[in-house]
Amino acid sequence: MIGPGIKRGTAELAVLSVLEDGPLHGYELSRRIEQQTKGALRFTLAALYPMLYRMEQRGWIRGSWETSQQGRRRRCYRLTQAGKTKLSPLRKEWSELFSALQRLTKVSRA
Amino acid sequence: MRDWEALVERQLRGLALEPAEIAEVVAELSAHLDETCEELRRRGMTEEQAVQRTLSQVEDWQKLSRLIERARTKENVMTNRVKQFWLPSLLTLFLSMGLLMLVQFFGPNPWVIARKSAWSLIAPVAVIYLPWLFSLPLIGAMGAYLSNRAGGSRRAMLTSIVFPVLPYFAFFLVALPVTAIFNDRLGHNIMFLALFVGLLAWVVAPAGALLAGGALVQFFLSRRLDSRRIVGS
Repeated sequence: MIGPGIKRGTAELAVLSVLEDGPLHGYELSRRIEQQTKGALRFTLAALYPMLYRMEQRGWIRGSWETSQQGRRRRCYRLTQAGKTKLSPLRKEWSELFSALQRLTKVSRA
Repeated sequence: MRDWEALVERQLRGLALEPAEIAEVVAELSAHLDETCEELRRRGMTEEQAVQRTLSQVEDWQKLSRLIERARTKENVMTNRVKQFWLPSLLTLFLSMGLLMLVQFFGPNPWVIARKSAWSLIAPVAVIYLPWLFSLPLIGAMGAYLSNRAGGSRRAMLTSIVFPVLPYFAFFLVALPVTAIFNDRLGHNIMFLALFVGLLAWVVAPAGALLAGGALVQFFLSRRLDSRRIVGS
């Protein structure tokens, strides 16, 4: 299980990555992240929405109200150009970090 | 069926946001709780179990309220567009214009490019203030640094850097075609060639100088980021 410190750092990357595939509302977004990470990353409502609002303020994502076929109103979030620009270096940074950790753990085992 | 909206509204009563914003937050959070509860019911939980599990998503409503307030208002004081684009752009514009005025009043004589005819010099076609031109990389660097520090995109940074020459560029964009059309009817001192040289002197050269400074800053910032990564990893 991944600890809370790492989770905080990866949360923004997870949201941006999932939204790259298309717009989603908050509940679906949290479900998608949970499914795709096989339960390693789980967002409760209390963790998800402050982060989404913060990311929206930064201009990385944009929320707009949409009505589903069942008549349910939901706020859908989509990635903005600024979000796409943010995602690419963020992805690279995390990938480098994980590779470095992997190398480190291999070295310690040897 | 539980009234999630009423519950969220009650719990977030102290939320210090505009009424329309509060209504949005309440609607969004209650929709989330509603869907969570429905999903749990579909998985076979009893109504009570599903409600309990749904409610467990928020341990402390007051804390959530504070986090939402902070997320939605803290960065409102100055919008990102202002921080990433307008502030660096206007700063580079005012600095470069102010400096140009100072150089014009107190600086050495400008370098004048005049058009030569067979017997004499005709009207100057470009006036270049070299001290001003040499100071532009510093101004471009400042614009790049401010935009980068505010998290500006590459496009915002680039526009902030070259912002001081955009008014000149707009002038030439209008003046060049107009001159091309009416060239024959205009005086010799605003002929097409003169405007083209003017474009080089007032747009291309200053933009190059500004970009040189901006590129240098970007290079150092990316190197600093790389070294941080190395230290971090």
